[in-house]
Amino acid sequence: MTRADSIAPRAATAAPRHRAQLRDWAVATALALIVASAAFFVHRNREFREREEHRAHAAAVAVARGEPPVSPVDAAGVVSPATPSPRYPFLRQRTFQPVGEAAPRALGGPCAPALDKLVYDAATRFDATGPFKGFLPDGSGRVVAAVAAPGTPGGVAVAVSTPPSGPEPYPWLTFVGLIGLGGVIAAAGALLGAWRRPTLLALGASGLAVPTLFWTGPWPAAIIVGLTTLVATASARGATDRWAEALRAHRVALAFLAPAAIAMAILVATPFIAGLVLGFYDHDAGSWTFVGLDNFGHILSGGGKGFDDPGNFWFVLGVTVAWTAVNVVLHVALGVALALLLRQPWLRGKGVFRMLLILPWAIPNYITALIWKGMFQSQDGAINSLLDYAGLGGDVSWFSSWSTAFTANVVTNTWLGFPFMMVVALGALESIPRDLYEAAEVDGASPLQRFWHVTLPHLRPALGPAVVLGSIWTFNMFNVIFLVSRGEPGGSTDILVTQAYRWAFERDEYGMAAAYATLIFLILLLWTVFGTKVTRKEGTP
Amino acid sequence: MIGRRLALAAALAAAAAAAPGCSPEREGGVVLWHTYTNGERAALEQLAEEWNRDHPDRGLTLVAVPYDAFADKLTSAIPNGNGPDLFIYAHDRIGAWVDARLIEPVEFWVDDELADRFDRGALLPLAYEGSLWGLPLGTKSLALFYRTDLVATPPRTTDELLALAPAARAADRYALAYANTELYGHAPWLFGYGGAVFDDAGELDLATAEAAAAGAFARTLVADGVVPADASVQLVATLFNEGKAAMALSGPWFIGDIADGVPWQVTTMPVVSATGEVAAPFLSAEGVLMSARARDKEAAFAVMDHLTSDGAAIVRARRAQQVVANRAAYLEPDIGDDPVLSTFRAQSAHTVPMPASPTMRAVWRPYMIALQEILRGADPGDALRGVEHEVRTGP
Repeated sequence: MTRADSIAPRAATAAPRHRAQLRDWAVATALALIVASAAFFVHRNREFREREEHRAHAAAVAVARGEPPVSPVDAAGVVSPATPSPRYPFLRQRTFQPVGEAAPRALGGPCAPALDKLVYDAATRFDATGPFKGFLPDGSGRVVAAVAAPGTPGGVAVAVSTPPSGPEPYPWLTFVGLIGLGGVIAAAGALLGAWRRPTLLALGASGLAVPTLFWTGPWPAAIIVGLTTLVATASARGATDRWAEALRAHRVALAFLAPAAIAMAILVATPFIAGLVLGFYDHDAGSWTFVGLDNFGHILSGGGKGFDDPGNFWFVLGVTVAWTAVNVVLHVALGVALALLLRQPWLRGKGVFRMLLILPWAIPNYITALIWKGMFQSQDGAINSLLDYAGLGGDVSWFSSWSTAFTANVVTNTWLGFPFMMVVALGALESIPRDLYEAAEVDGASPLQRFWHVTLPHLRPALGPAVVLGSIWTFNMFNVIFLVSRGEPGGSTDILVTQAYRWAFERDEYGMAAAYATLIFLILLLWTVFGTKVTRKEGTP
Repeated sequence: MIGRRLALAAALAAAAAAAPGCSPEREGGVVLWHTYTNGERAALEQLAEEWNRDHPDRGLTLVAVPYDAFADKLTSAIPNGNGPDLFIYAHDRIGAWVDARLIEPVEFWVDDELADRFDRGALLPLAYEGSLWGLPLGTKSLALFYRTDLVATPPRTTDELLALAPAARAADRYALAYANTELYGHAPWLFGYGGAVFDDAGELDLATAEAAAAGAFARTLVADGVVPADASVQLVATLFNEGKAAMALSGPWFIGDIADGVPWQVTTMPVVSATGEVAAPFLSAEGVLMSARARDKEAAFAVMDHLTSDGAAIVRARRAQQVVANRAAYLEPDIGDDPVLSTFRAQSAHTVPMPASPTMRAVWRPYMIALQEILRGADPGDALRGVEHEVRTGP
């Protein structure tokens, strides 16, 4: 705080300072309140679960001993061991001796009461897993518990608790009191001034940390103190004043930005963060286990497979990079060539050609991919029929070897990708002043020289970003790979995104898929930063 | 969808009619998700109408969900409480759904008398780990379709099948077409040769000499020009319709793909000459399953009972040509004598139920890759050992 002491005298006049103190205290308190509320709910749910589970378990234990249940129950009693039907071993008869009733009754049948089903299933679960206690999934808050009943050989004592009284209420009074007290402390700080101002601000807002100590231990309290200290430090250095000033100055702009920003936070940031987090978990049949960096380790080590195995990440990465490079080169070459052709003065019907050439881009790419898939079909496909007609042998089994399957993918994606580059090149060509060509011609430059020294330098600034964008699209071109080659043969033409898909939806390894997605993101991030730098450098004349 | 359900629930609560039969604990409807289309959908809708007429207090709402998205939707919707009360699906995902606690065991409501309704072969696949997880509607398996204009008598053995090849080749057509790179299509040979996916104890048992022999046979079929290489399901239909394949291995769904004017019949699979065993395809039993989060489980089971009753089965068999699981349905002359239904029912006695264990999910793709390699000339034993290794150690 000695540091704050030396900075405090910089603060401005008295009246706005009081207001600033109040504002900063409110911000710090709001942050603290969020953390404290979260801590309360964690505490409340844990408390509630333990209390209710204990209640049902104690009832079951009492029933097992032959005593009446110690707490109110919807059902309690001893279930007999299962007698399987001779014809259908999975149909098992059980009887139920409810506590306090004279005779046992059979469980089950088409019209049996709902509560009997809970008892019956609890006994089945006990047979499979041993004693247990847990909430019913029906949201009623009831707990079912089962323990062995020593009185009946093979019997199970089952208790279903009554719906609980509500959980602990939200501590309004505690929070309001602490906030009020904190406000007074912060106000006192403002009156005393100098180093006391930020110190008492932090102290006043940290009051909410006190109850969390009793609820969930030191972590939430530490977070609250850390946050309020942060706000107080920022306040002492005048940072909060600057932020408030900036907010005021741009309030109209911010109001217009807010809806989009909120939508982005919900629709983009949240799934993104969830995806990042999932990468650190292992998924098995609906349950998640934290495994740290295991998924990434497994992927980056190639999963113990050779570099020539399609299951190895580095092989897939190699295929993906080759796929991207080949495609982008073809897209740019074809796009620029066609754009130059469309600019030739002797060409008639430019509009028609331009429209036709943009058409592949306008058709949804999965439809194009499915059409090409059909054309590459080995028995009756159009490509093989054409090859046959041309006498080049029409029995290529396109998806049986890596090179032909890869070629089929590339052909499809080139068809899809060149129009974009052509449109970009056309636009850039329009902006080249004609007199440059005239000047070059006067200087005696050949057509090739004119292309090399006039056209190309002017295309670069437009094509650079287009290449970066196109490479990202191609790198993640799921549809073509998934629909045309389907990774055949043997997964060797899969790229990173289709592999990630297979991890998630063919192997149910969502954690691995998320880790894959994170790696793809990092690779593309690197490439974007690097690619933008390179094109910018080239772009500056 | 939710809006409609809420509106329905509200209307039902307002009606508050007294419930006949087993009285439900709560008022409210039962929501059922299905992937049915065409005839099957029409039959299901008719049954739902019947139910709703008799039980206005426990209305049944049908929701058609596209097949591709079905399983994923279930796994995400049920744990959140947004899922259906009942759904219709094949039995082969039961293992994974039991592990994830998505479905409810139903043996509590089922007695021997109810179970006796069904063909044993249709009911048993719905049992898993000692519990019953649904009631069967019908079964689906491959059988041998043939064009009556191209094949006078269908082959009863694989030797007869191979003998048909030279004549077919001379006429520039294939004797047979089937999805030979999919384990599902290859399964008849696999089991006909005595191979397996799992042994009797449920342990992985892929790389046997019998399975290798089945792989070698599949390769012979391609090498001798009996069947086309890498045939997809769509290609099989095209070749059959164009007369470029005289026969096809496919299931009841194939009937809808056969073009008008193509004369066809269906018969049971041939016997594998090398072993004397019938080429046994996979059997999938389609059942009504209950969500673990079903709101009114008694009402939901009553709907299951209704949809799988003998009367309902007769409707489904007549309107949708479904190979229904109910034994009594086949006592009806028009159903029992239906050539298609009786063929598929006869075939279902010589099938292997698709394994319901979650491990099976990890088998399909490696097996498909292995089949592609085998058809291209790889050693079947090596390829299958590769599959077994991959399934055991994870990809």
